[in-house]
Amino acid sequence: MPKKIGPIESDVYGFNALALLANSSKTFSDEMLALDFQECTTFDANMAAPLYTALTCYHVEKVKAINIRHDIRTILKKNGFLGELGVLNADDPDQTILPFRRFNRNAGASFAIYLSQYMTGRGIPRMSAGLTKRFLQSLFEIFQNAAMHSNSHSGIFVCGQLSPAMHRLDFTIADAGIGIRDNVRRHFNNTINSCSAIKWALEKGHTTRTNNQPGGLGLKLLKDFIRINQGKIQIASRYGFHEISDMAEPFYKLDYDFPGTCVNIEINTDDARNYALKSEIKSSDIF
Amino acid sequence: MNEQAMPAVTLNVADMLDNDLCISSEDGQTLFEAISSLIGENKQVIVSFEGVSMLISLFLNAAIGQLYGQFTENEVRRHLVVEGLAADDMELLRGVVENAKKYYSRPMEYDKAWTVEGDDEE
Repeated sequence: MPKKIGPIESDVYGFNALALLANSSKTFSDEMLALDFQECTTFDANMAAPLYTALTCYHVEKVKAINIRHDIRTILKKNGFLGELGVLNADDPDQTILPFRRFNRNAGASFAIYLSQYMTGRGIPRMSAGLTKRFLQSLFEIFQNAAMHSNSHSGIFVCGQLSPAMHRLDFTIADAGIGIRDNVRRHFNNTINSCSAIKWALEKGHTTRTNNQPGGLGLKLLKDFIRINQGKIQIASRYGFHEISDMAEPFYKLDYDFPGTCVNIEINTDDARNYALKSEIKSSDIF
Repeated sequence: MNEQAMPAVTLNVADMLDNDLCISSEDGQTLFEAISSLIGENKQVIVSFEGVSMLISLFLNAAIGQLYGQFTENEVRRHLVVEGLAADDMELLRGVVENAKKYYSRPMEYDKAWTVEGDDEE
């Protein structure tokens, strides 16, 4: 019995659809899954990462994609996602893609090699040195947060897409772990809901680390950076979805349980700000 | 204690970790233990980040922030010097240090504030 997938854009509806797909696995007993794209009229390339999260609820190695429109097939072949489902990948002549990859949780060094390979010397992206540094720092913060807190046995899934005409670069990091909510619940032994847990995690100094160490700056720094850059952050975790942009910062409760956490960062690549500070700070001023 | 008389030891982070990426908590812990041990021996520790290409708060929390759980602010100030960081990374370090001071002075503050958020409808 095939499972249908509708349009998947990088928004609350897209994440809700992926959460529904994951949720449907509870009543699915077949070993093989035919994922039917007949009704999928649009697919944002970066959403391949959370789609993989949803597919971890099935036997991923036995998922087959069927009835995919040509344009969407091309996107998912170029970014290597369909390669995970046994379809041959396609070239990316415009070099606007940061391909889909799975990493082990302790693979920070491999992630660094991936970023260095795809963020430099290609079509991606002509950004100022200061912006590139802040963007990469943000990606490492998110990746290492996922590595430390997710408990994802399937690893961490990433991919990205540049839209040159829009001056936008989206990069998405997803896991199939316990979610922010369950981390906070375990830490405080409470019953916090998913949206409140995301809100909590974004506050400066808030961390669920248990080894008596300070923490909880990564997401706050990311939020500060994205505000200055006029970009966007989306966080989907279990039943919670939060978007941060210069327009608004809404929270939405998803109808279904997204089986992990996904952070999407969209930056404005046309940002010419010099993020490097000019004033000298001595260590004696800090300690 | 006469600060002039304190022997100084330089720790080159990139050499010590054999890595130009300061992105993991484990590497931060390694640096923390080295600094902590040298301060315990009453040495001045110069931590050099020359050659480091990427630095994030997660690493600094473990490497530097944690020192405030073991030593007083005065002890850290007297014993620790950091060099080789760009101004924006120094700003990052400043944020980590402020956060650590707050954390160790009132570690339960955040916990108390959020344990009331119950309302589970999921």
